[in-house]
Amino acid sequence: MKYFVIGDEDAVLGFGLVGVQGVKAETPAEAETAFNSALEDSDVGIIIIDFKIADMIRPLVDRYIFTEQFPLIVEVPGREGRLPGRPGIRAMVNEAIGIKL
Amino acid sequence: MKTNIAPTKTNLLSLGHELKFARLGYELLDQKRNILVIELLNLVDQAADHEEKVEKALAEAYRTLEEAVIDMGKLKVTQVASAINIESRVKITQRKVMGVGLPVVDTGFDDYPPYYSPMNNSFWIDSSLNEFKAVLQIMGKLAELKISIMRLAREVKKTIRKVNALEKIAIPELRETVKYIQNRLEENERDMIILLKMIKTRLEKKKEKSDN
Repeated sequence: MKYFVIGDEDAVLGFGLVGVQGVKAETPAEAETAFNSALEDSDVGIIIIDFKIADMIRPLVDRYIFTEQFPLIVEVPGREGRLPGRPGIRAMVNEAIGIKL
Repeated sequence: MKTNIAPTKTNLLSLGHELKFARLGYELLDQKRNILVIELLNLVDQAADHEEKVEKALAEAYRTLEEAVIDMGKLKVTQVASAINIESRVKITQRKVMGVGLPVVDTGFDDYPPYYSPMNNSFWIDSSLNEFKAVLQIMGKLAELKISIMRLAREVKKTIRKVNALEKIAIPELRETVKYIQNRLEENERDMIILLKMIKTRLEKKKEKSDN
């Protein structure tokens, strides 16, 4: 199993340094193609995807996170760091189950 | 409350069994919910911790990469990147918590140094390389935690719904129905006793008359 990265140019280059294959994506269409190509490769175990790009294809990403065993999907902040107003993991869980942790 | 059910002893018995079963199910689901929530809390703490770490490491990695790019130019960095012989691999196994499959990720590297000539290459490449390696290592853990949390949260939500359905609807309804049938049966019994008494007095009167 291996990693696969979908992000901007810097992310692809940076993770390329440590032997992670990646595809650059900037538009929703590109993001979708990249995501699908990552899914097609059965050797991909974890997809690292930029928050902004994940947001472009949110329904697709969420479906995979919740229903499929593989691949795992992890969303990371991009080059500019954490976006302000982005809910943390706690807020996400609170929203998901409607109880306060 | 089910009122269209015939108030018979058989129905009372079967409803009694159903009620017992529902209570048992409620207890089990309640336990399941508690276990899941404890597990979830545990994971959320870890994940929040890891998320912070990943963000810090990633910011650092990008900074060093930027330095490298400034030093050598993007083209050169891309070339060096394509020459580096590191294979990152992940091993994904599964563990189960109350029937929910959660991934366990193990990240490793097959690297074959030296990757490139130290001549003409900025040292920032080295630090960038190490930073990204570190990022990937914790990234695997973060992926594991995040996915686990998502799946657990979903299961908790489902379980809460079931618990509530049993606690607030199914069990009270069954209890009321059982009570209703019990009342009806008792009423019938009283009716029967009165009836029997009336027959008895009537028979006695008849007997008295015939005796006279």
